[in-house]
Amino acid sequence: MKNKNRQNRKGLYLPAKVEILDVVDMTSDVKLFKLERPKSFYYSPGQFLMVSVWGAGEVPISITSTHEIRKDIELCIRKVGAVTSALHSLTAGDYLGIRGPLGNRFPFEEAFGKDILFVAGGIGIAPLRSLINLVSEQKEKFGKIALIYGSRNPSEVLFLDEILRWRDEGIDVYLTVDVKTDPWKYSTGLVTEHLSKQRISFKTCHSYICGPHVMIKAVMRDLSLMGMPAENIITTLEAHMKCGVGKCGHCYTDGKYVCTDGPVFNYTEIKQFGMSNP
Amino acid sequence: MKGHFVLNRAHLSYWLRQLRKDADLIGPLRSTDGDIIFSSIENIHDIELDCPASIPSPKEFIFPQKEEMFRFSDKGVSSKSNGERRVIFGVRSCDISAIALLDRFYGELYEDSFYMDRRRNTVFISIACNTPDPTCFCIGLGTGPFLKSGFDIQLTDLGNRYLVQAGSGEGLKIIRRFRHLFQKPEKTDFDDQYEAMLSSQSGFEKRITLETVRQKIITAKVEDSFWESVALRCFQCGGCVYECPLCTCFNVVDWKEDKDKGVRMRLWDTCMFKGFTKMAGNVLPAEKQIMRTKRWYFHKLLYYPEQFGKFGCVGCGRCTITCPGRIDMAAVANKLD
Amino acid sequence: MAGLASAFGSGAMTNSIEEIDNARVLFVIGSNTTEQHPMIAMHMLDAVDKGATLIVADPRKTQVAGFAQIHLRQKSGTDVALLNGIMNVIIDEGLVDISFVKRRTENFDDLEKIVRAYSPDVAEKITGVPADEIKRVARIYATEKRSMLFYSMGITQHITGVDNVRSCANLVMLTAHIGQPMTGLNPLRGQNNVQGACDMGALPDVYSGYQRVSDPKARRKIGNAWGRKLPARPGLTMIDMFDAALSGGLKAMYIMGENPVISDPDSSHLIEAIKKLDFLVVQDIFMSDTAELADVVLPAVTFAEKDGTFTNTERRVQKIRRVIRPMFGAMPDWKIISEVSKKMGYDMGYRAPHEIMEEVALLTPSYGGILHHRLDNFGIQWPCPDTSHAGTPFLHRKKFAKGLGTFNPVDFAPPAENTDAEYPFILTTGRMYFRYHTGTMCRRTSTLEREEPECFIEINPKDAGRLGVRTRNRVRVLSRRGEIVVNVLVTDRTPEGIVFIPFHFRDAAVNLITNPAVDPIAKIPEFKVCAVRIVPLIPKPGERQKSLYNRKEDIKILLELYEEPKV
Repeated sequence: MKNKNRQNRKGLYLPAKVEILDVVDMTSDVKLFKLERPKSFYYSPGQFLMVSVWGAGEVPISITSTHEIRKDIELCIRKVGAVTSALHSLTAGDYLGIRGPLGNRFPFEEAFGKDILFVAGGIGIAPLRSLINLVSEQKEKFGKIALIYGSRNPSEVLFLDEILRWRDEGIDVYLTVDVKTDPWKYSTGLVTEHLSKQRISFKTCHSYICGPHVMIKAVMRDLSLMGMPAENIITTLEAHMKCGVGKCGHCYTDGKYVCTDGPVFNYTEIKQFGMSNP
Repeated sequence: MKGHFVLNRAHLSYWLRQLRKDADLIGPLRSTDGDIIFSSIENIHDIELDCPASIPSPKEFIFPQKEEMFRFSDKGVSSKSNGERRVIFGVRSCDISAIALLDRFYGELYEDSFYMDRRRNTVFISIACNTPDPTCFCIGLGTGPFLKSGFDIQLTDLGNRYLVQAGSGEGLKIIRRFRHLFQKPEKTDFDDQYEAMLSSQSGFEKRITLETVRQKIITAKVEDSFWESVALRCFQCGGCVYECPLCTCFNVVDWKEDKDKGVRMRLWDTCMFKGFTKMAGNVLPAEKQIMRTKRWYFHKLLYYPEQFGKFGCVGCGRCTITCPGRIDMAAVANKLD
Repeated sequence: MAGLASAFGSGAMTNSIEEIDNARVLFVIGSNTTEQHPMIAMHMLDAVDKGATLIVADPRKTQVAGFAQIHLRQKSGTDVALLNGIMNVIIDEGLVDISFVKRRTENFDDLEKIVRAYSPDVAEKITGVPADEIKRVARIYATEKRSMLFYSMGITQHITGVDNVRSCANLVMLTAHIGQPMTGLNPLRGQNNVQGACDMGALPDVYSGYQRVSDPKARRKIGNAWGRKLPARPGLTMIDMFDAALSGGLKAMYIMGENPVISDPDSSHLIEAIKKLDFLVVQDIFMSDTAELADVVLPAVTFAEKDGTFTNTERRVQKIRRVIRPMFGAMPDWKIISEVSKKMGYDMGYRAPHEIMEEVALLTPSYGGILHHRLDNFGIQWPCPDTSHAGTPFLHRKKFAKGLGTFNPVDFAPPAENTDAEYPFILTTGRMYFRYHTGTMCRRTSTLEREEPECFIEINPKDAGRLGVRTRNRVRVLSRRGEIVVNVLVTDRTPEGIVFIPFHFRDAAVNLITNPAVDPIAKIPEFKVCAVRIVPLIPKPGERQKSLYNRKEDIKILLELYEEPKV
């Protein structure tokens, strides 16, 4: 899974300047940024960018768009810290710096002919969206495809239109929220409560999970208990990062760098991390 | 023997002065308070060769405590190269061993241009340690007191002369340029070096084998209560990390100088602070000190060997000198052994 | 300082840091030593490793308390009762060093009279510390020859601050743990040069070396050297000054290296006072919150840009050396003062710090032999009367600075503010490791700032359970003076009924709610005790908690770093 694609030497820490083409408000604190895609910039689902706002800093952001489908790059960003706050103040026509794509990608060729389960929580839908769009383009290559997506409340559900389109295209979609407010015609409760409702064959299925740390931990464990092989349970991790290329040490955990060995890991690898300990 | 020379003690300063003509000469100096610091040499005779470990380690010359990565403005980014030629003289064997490992860390997979630019323009002249400090334990790690390889040039003090060994092409070059200063070594020179090595080896107070410690940790014979007792004594000063010649972590910050321009810096960072791994929304993966303590020791004792086949410790003893809680590598190893 | 002076005649750590290593008993009261004086804690740990007994008296379970064989968790503000209880046991069990008391001290009978009333059981009722523990501590402390007593802000920042210090001094004299190596009463000063500032007379009633303003001889000596007649009336304390400003009696103020807007209690009152001034000058290294209110800001250099001396907590005068050139046209404090003085018609005529040190030596008996050229390496501990003297590692060897040591017996007086049904928690404030004071300096360091960007309140798990709050919830903390909003940190570090908030945060400045009541003599405010109420602000399920932390403000700080200071 390792990305051996060597960067040019000078470019390792130097961001490329790209223009923001459009900014879409998703929720009260999430925006979708559409960026110009530089020439010879190829990326795969699961990879991330280091995004710079001059003076505010640099943060890792997963790419939510799909290379094969779109000419631009889409980033879905929640305002949580100093850099993302600065990002949120930018508009179309502004510039920002990007480095990447970095990290490994979701392995999905192994899932050809098998069922696929996506489990997303909150903004965790963003990195999965890149893969879901790619998979739904070639649905015939896979078995059943299901998505469980949990949010805090209906106003925080991201990409709802697109998710409903996926449903119309034949993906089993389960939307759930922690707290229901009207009008909400879907489920409530945690994503883990909906795992067993999926009509997929857990023993051979491949699952891709992204969301808050606690959710990832709970879902991985439950799927494993339901008989899914640990290698098929795949997630992408978030970590504090400063360089994205295995040098700064911030994302280092138990012998692995989330940035260069990940961010995509399977449950076997996750279990070797201290982070899977209670 | 090839690559071996003898330099008359009286000619050392002449040689260094020649080297200084086209490179910045850096060496150990004693400050007014008695600390040893590596710094640009004004007067060759100020160099202190028979001295304890410098604080900080000479890693700061290739991985500076504070370094400009690039400048940014609304026009884009610009980075200048760090091409200044340097000769760093009087480096200890342990620090040379550390730099050899740093070269692999920063050079492998993705090459760190800032480090490598500096590194390529730096020649290290190390000096084998005839008298180890009470805090030294390189002998158990094969990182000193005398090195067989991994150096550019190694000197051994033989009283009235130095045995000079070239360990790299760069090293050989700066010896060859001043060929008239160097003689061919005799058998007695090698004999004397061997004597010096034996006498140095017998001078170690600390005998620590990290391999037994590693085995104990791997076979899970170390309970968390042990690490808890170590963590309890951590004052969170970060000294062990800042002084360690093998700690490589850095933080990156932007400093704005004006509305639309500024500079991105990288600064030494330490995993002993809980904010080191802080994620968005104030989530702290390593909130408890014990997690951070284990992380540091496990990285050096377990994962360095996995990744590089070598311990992430060269036995320089700087953490022993620095740690106010007395939970340095040597102390922990002693307790576990 | 006032408490120590009335007992011994001089206020400073009586013994030396180095002696700690070989002490047998270390009694630490009101000091978070590992976090606030780590280098001293290092020696304490070394002593513990060698078998010394460490006793910590602190309501909070601090890191240093983790190494203590005995940890007394007295209720905040009951230190006098605790110490009287200990002395009661010492007297009762015949552990008093009678020959020392007779030869070296006075007023023992009065002490005995008062202390008799504090049997361990009475002390237990007031302090909450079990009587048996009090007895145990008394026996260990009194019977061991090499017992050192340490205290810090936990003792002084009370309305009974001077009483607390006097009690400590009484205890030390009672057992003759003074005037010997590895004994003594050792206040740990909070900042690198606070001892030096006091030594140089940065107090309203003394000149350098604690020569009293009220002493005509001292006044004449110093006045002659300066060629001016000096006022006989002592000045005002800081708290009095702000009161005077508020009532209009004080028109102008010159603040150096202090940020009282954040660091002083009841800050809204203080800001009002500052706004009433006709003229405010602030001299600091950064644009502090107080400097924002100034008419004139004078940029001073940092430690790295100047020569001079710092005097540390063990009375050691140490040389500091300039390592970088002053930036942005800032000047050393001495030069700014000299220039201002010159403009006002008095030329001090100093050309370098060592010239000032010569004058200090000339006019200050305890600094008589302290000159820059003698300070290389490790400096000199005062008193050092002349240049042949090597300095004094411990004080009061044969006699106290004032002759006989005086017992100043004190009765327990409760804190100025008590808990009641409306304000049921005791709030105590303090510091934390990753922040320095009001953050004028440390908040500019990204690595330090990353550690604790938001203010928090430590609440005991039992109290948290009753309030229904968990770590990272948010609460409103209200006192009779104001309120702040902070994050919850549930921890057993803080005992039931007591909550703790660090004072470093500007976004949640705890001194908006602390009690400005002061010690009647030292005028140090009661930072350590006030009564508060806690109201949980728990997000509804599905709701996201907004950051407490003012990002814009933060970016502003970073921007200032490279701005030319406004002059």
